[in-house]
Amino acid sequence: MPNRPLAADYRDARRLWAGRWERRGLILAIVAAIVFPMVAGHNALTIANLTLIAIVGASALMILTGFTGQISLGHAAFLALGAYTAAVGGQAGLPFWLLIPAGGLVAAAVGLAVGPFALRLEGLYLAIVTIGLIFLVNHVLLSFPDITGGVGGIGVPMHLGFAETEGSVLTPFSETWQLGGIAIGFEQKLYALYALIALATVLGLRNLALSDTGRAMMAVRDHDLAAAVMGVNPARTKITAFGVSSFVAGVAGAMFAYQQQYLTVEPPFNLLLSVQYIAMIILGGIGTVFGAIAGPVAFVVLTPLMEALGRQLPLISELSSSQQSTLLFSLLVIVFLIFEPLGLYGVWLRIKRYFLAWPFSY
Amino acid sequence: MSALLEVRGLGLRFGNVTALDGIDLAVHERELLAVIGPNGAGKSSLYNCISGLYRPQQGSITLAGADLLALAPHQIAAAGVGRVFQNLALFDNLSTLDNLMLGRHPRMGSRWWADWLGLPGALANEAEHRAAVEEVIDFLHLARWRDYPVGLLPYGVRKRIELGRALCMAPRLLLLDEPAAGLNQEETEDLAAYLLDLRAERDITIVLIEHELGFVMDLADRVAVLDFGRLIACGAPQEVRQNPEVIAAYIGGAPDDGDPGEAAQENPA
Repeated sequence: MPNRPLAADYRDARRLWAGRWERRGLILAIVAAIVFPMVAGHNALTIANLTLIAIVGASALMILTGFTGQISLGHAAFLALGAYTAAVGGQAGLPFWLLIPAGGLVAAAVGLAVGPFALRLEGLYLAIVTIGLIFLVNHVLLSFPDITGGVGGIGVPMHLGFAETEGSVLTPFSETWQLGGIAIGFEQKLYALYALIALATVLGLRNLALSDTGRAMMAVRDHDLAAAVMGVNPARTKITAFGVSSFVAGVAGAMFAYQQQYLTVEPPFNLLLSVQYIAMIILGGIGTVFGAIAGPVAFVVLTPLMEALGRQLPLISELSSSQQSTLLFSLLVIVFLIFEPLGLYGVWLRIKRYFLAWPFSY
Repeated sequence: MSALLEVRGLGLRFGNVTALDGIDLAVHERELLAVIGPNGAGKSSLYNCISGLYRPQQGSITLAGADLLALAPHQIAAAGVGRVFQNLALFDNLSTLDNLMLGRHPRMGSRWWADWLGLPGALANEAEHRAAVEEVIDFLHLARWRDYPVGLLPYGVRKRIELGRALCMAPRLLLLDEPAAGLNQEETEDLAAYLLDLRAERDITIVLIEHELGFVMDLADRVAVLDFGRLIACGAPQEVRQNPEVIAAYIGGAPDDGDPGEAAQENPA
């Protein structure tokens, strides 16, 4: 259903705000995003940064699974590749602004190499094969402990410039800056950086959704035979989706590495992480830009609530806290799949329709 | 008149079943050719060979001299073959507008990175092709439905959207597979009017698969009759109607305006 007034012109349809309320909402969101790091405590900032990382990661999966319909459980592998690019590059003294895109490129290279193999597989078969990718990447990462730190893990220094340029003096990004009496800590700087990356990612996702390339992806998802007869090259479309998705996932991985400052292979880069991302986009609303934001936000916010709830429930309280939240979260996803397949996006549409029709809400 | 589409000695088998047996067929520029035949005669198989979904074992198919059998389905579409499926093959989650825009895909030549980054060139390209789609929306009176996901729309409207999607391709050859199946009397008359307008306004060659003889008789320049994978007759509608072989194989009795029982069977659920 149309979720905004009819836009006859393409430029109208692309406008970020269609009406007065959307413009106000957008301004409010920007103001909140700027004020938030000034007032938030350390924990809140950490959660915000993790949310921003999850938005980037979920956007990546939204392209591949949400738009193109390729169910991939190998998402953790691409995140790992990006993260380890940042870590290894950081150890070599390379700056973060080089390593974040580099993480994306390394992941994209692997994604493009894997993409052609995925062309003949669909649905669950693709999901199963992509699980193998996680084991493969983890195995490789653990096999070169001299470079990746192996099981012991690796520190992730975040350099502002090239470490070599000023002798051996590193210019870490992590020290606190003083700007006119205002102290800007590491978390705040990360927040500013990540907010920009997340914004760019979401705008890119939106561009795709409103463009020919995105439509071709969705056509392949909905009916690949008809898509081919319409002139869409399904193979090329799927490989493009794999490439773009793994690039964005690699960027998210690099962001995660800098946020954690110390990396091990497993956890976090295991099947559970892939499943969590799938859960996020289902919860948010699969195939929608809204879902790529709402899903991760809900996931991060709901996880501690689920843990708190899990402690109160019989049987479930016997499990570890992460198992509790995983279990309850899975139940929530199942409930959504049954009752609101469009996820939070569907809920949002209902709310909006209610108010659009208000007071005639029947 | 020169032949736009030429099918020569086309043979298609599935195991021991012969779906098409040495079909020879030429479709002339700006002609409306109807292909009729009982269920399982090989009508849709013929379409699937033309649009590259089936690979025939024998014969050749050329479009304006170019060999279609050497091309993948998406390349055949780009070469100018538009198709409407028998059972709807729309992209259910996409809006009417997006479905129609996909018809423009082979002509848009968009680059994924330009689309991703939202570069001005990509936006201008999109706006330009939207204008072409708006024309089709007007032509088929689809404006009311343009922003709704097509999965939610009534059957007749969806059939029209699928026709519109094929028109957006601005094809040289349009393949329609039972466009009137499942439509009521009024919708069928509308469809016939659209098709006649289409031929009058655009230089388009149409091949039409149909069960309803009456619909075909008034509309087509020539009628080809398939039976058990063989072409048993091809000519002007009245001629074909009198052909004893056609009467025996297809109508199964006296010449008559179609077999209502068969047409009803063909209605998709």
